[in-house]
Amino acid sequence: MTRFAFAAAAAFAATPALADMAVSIPFAAEIAGQPFACTQTYAGLGRTRAEVQAVDFRLFVSNPALIRADGSLQSMTLDQDGAWQLGDLALLDFEDASGACANGTAGMNTTLRGTVPEGEYTGLSFTIGVPFDQNHIDPTQAPAPLNTTAMFWNWQGGYKFLRIDMVPTDRKNDGPRGWFLHLGSTMCDAASKTEAPTACKNGNRMEIRLDGFDIAQGTVVIDPAPVVAGADLRANAPDTSPGCMSFPGDADCMTVMAALGLGYMDVPAATQSLVAQR
Amino acid sequence: MGLVGAAALADPVAVAPFAWPMPAWIVPPHVPDDNPMSAAKVDLGRHLFHDARLSRDSTVACASCHVQALGFADGRPRGLGINDTPSTLNVPGLANVGYLPALTWANPHMDSLEFQALVPLFGETPEEMGGAGQEVAIFARLAADPWYRTAFAAAFPDRPAPDLFTITRALAAYQRSLIAVNAPYDRYKYRGEVDALSAAAKRGEQLFFDHRFECYHCHSGIHFTNNLRTARQPQGEVGFHNTGLYESYPATAPGLIELTGRPEDAGRFRTPSLRNVAVTAPYMHDGSIPDLRGVIAHYAGGGRAPGHPQKDGMIVGFTPTEAEIDDLIAFLESLTDRDFLTDPRHADPWPPGHPAVATRRMPAP
Repeated sequence: MTRFAFAAAAAFAATPALADMAVSIPFAAEIAGQPFACTQTYAGLGRTRAEVQAVDFRLFVSNPALIRADGSLQSMTLDQDGAWQLGDLALLDFEDASGACANGTAGMNTTLRGTVPEGEYTGLSFTIGVPFDQNHIDPTQAPAPLNTTAMFWNWQGGYKFLRIDMVPTDRKNDGPRGWFLHLGSTMCDAASKTEAPTACKNGNRMEIRLDGFDIAQGTVVIDPAPVVAGADLRANAPDTSPGCMSFPGDADCMTVMAALGLGYMDVPAATQSLVAQR
Repeated sequence: MGLVGAAALADPVAVAPFAWPMPAWIVPPHVPDDNPMSAAKVDLGRHLFHDARLSRDSTVACASCHVQALGFADGRPRGLGINDTPSTLNVPGLANVGYLPALTWANPHMDSLEFQALVPLFGETPEEMGGAGQEVAIFARLAADPWYRTAFAAAFPDRPAPDLFTITRALAAYQRSLIAVNAPYDRYKYRGEVDALSAAAKRGEQLFFDHRFECYHCHSGIHFTNNLRTARQPQGEVGFHNTGLYESYPATAPGLIELTGRPEDAGRFRTPSLRNVAVTAPYMHDGSIPDLRGVIAHYAGGGRAPGHPQKDGMIVGFTPTEAEIDDLIAFLESLTDRDFLTDPRHADPWPPGHPAVATRRMPAP
């Protein structure tokens, strides 16, 4: 009884003046404007107008916030569901292991779910990426969703932030086995050769701000078609990973990283074209 | 077939203390706090290491590239993964691998065997065992094997199921048990068996530890590498060097710079141990030199591409006689622990035809 009274008092003290309201932000995965599905093919991608089958579509989103009328940010508190959302991080998963998505999981997660104080909000912001302090932990001991092996990127010491895997349907026999868009931090250096990284030269986290996003009715649309518009999805630069996997020195990344809003080698960042609102 | 195989398997080791397979005066390797050694865990790790069911299609086990008879290397220039996917790097031998504070050829993130195991299991560039996204199926496959049911419980009483933690810990514990310290040179140097080395190997030893040849500056210490972390060292010592192998290192294996981005790390690779070196050909990080004579020629010339600006200052070149080369090779051959190559404590435990190995691919003998 005593414990109950104490807990109630603590809860009362922690309750803000305004009540919290639940928020659910829907995300849609599309390829060239068509809904993503593991059983679909998509035509006209990249500068050689390739037809592709998409075989994976997942991304980590972190630090979600709603934008107040004055432009300031109100952090969104994510529901801790023990599966998709952990702290300020969520794994969005649009594949369902059907069709060509051989390395997928049956479960899907296409919304950000949480709470904010009641109020007027006029936009949404979030990061595509795993925050640095969660990116370099021991993945064998990490809770979900950071134990998802398809998002492991241990060679680089972190996680893939974004993976959209496409396979051209008319690739040559000696062509690449796929054109994979993998985003993650590269060149993560440590104070010594045997310590966890203290910083990454290329953090490669995408900061997304959608002013005017309608919290009640809006949808966030993720579509890689504009990002790969300048790339040839039927080919792969020799001696590089298939597609663009963020590593410096990959000719396949030259037009791609800028379109993600990220600088790459000598190519300056452009406005990101992966994320839009509807 | 599964029943026959299961019947022929030894029962999982009951909980028993682990004894390092080496003389007590040798300091054991560093062991992480979250993975204390036990006989049960090492035995479980030995079964997992040789079990192809850890790969997506049950064709690739750790042992598919790490063959005991070859010092746990594979004899190929570069590794070969699932669906014959080529690697860009030579498969290193695993003798005394537990002493290495940095694993693989040039990656500062690979600081424990537990963490390193995730790369062959789940890595995608290139795929080795192809397990990314397949962990649920792989764990279920292992959990269905009655031998593992007992073995995981014996090794991990608090979490007795195959998962990312238990599998990587057991694989690491087994690899730490791979101790090779019974070569002719050990018997000669540490046990007073003066006849354990040939006269040629004794002359080669003098050349190896000589300022003309400079071999021992990097291939130093009890395991002939300047990478070492014993149980008595609070932190490891690591050494990465550019040995002048290429004028410009190819993008497929650029060295430590791939991960650090530091220009001075171009072409830098971790010094490998020379224990069992005579059975782990071909050599160098990319398997580009077929034999020990070729390796000595590389160093004699001050590097195959001596002009690389980041070449280590110790690679100065020398002019050996043919007799000196023969002696050096005799010394290097004296570092082979023959018992290690056949030790039943490290051997493949699965009977032929067992589902663990029925579709496993191995290098051609």
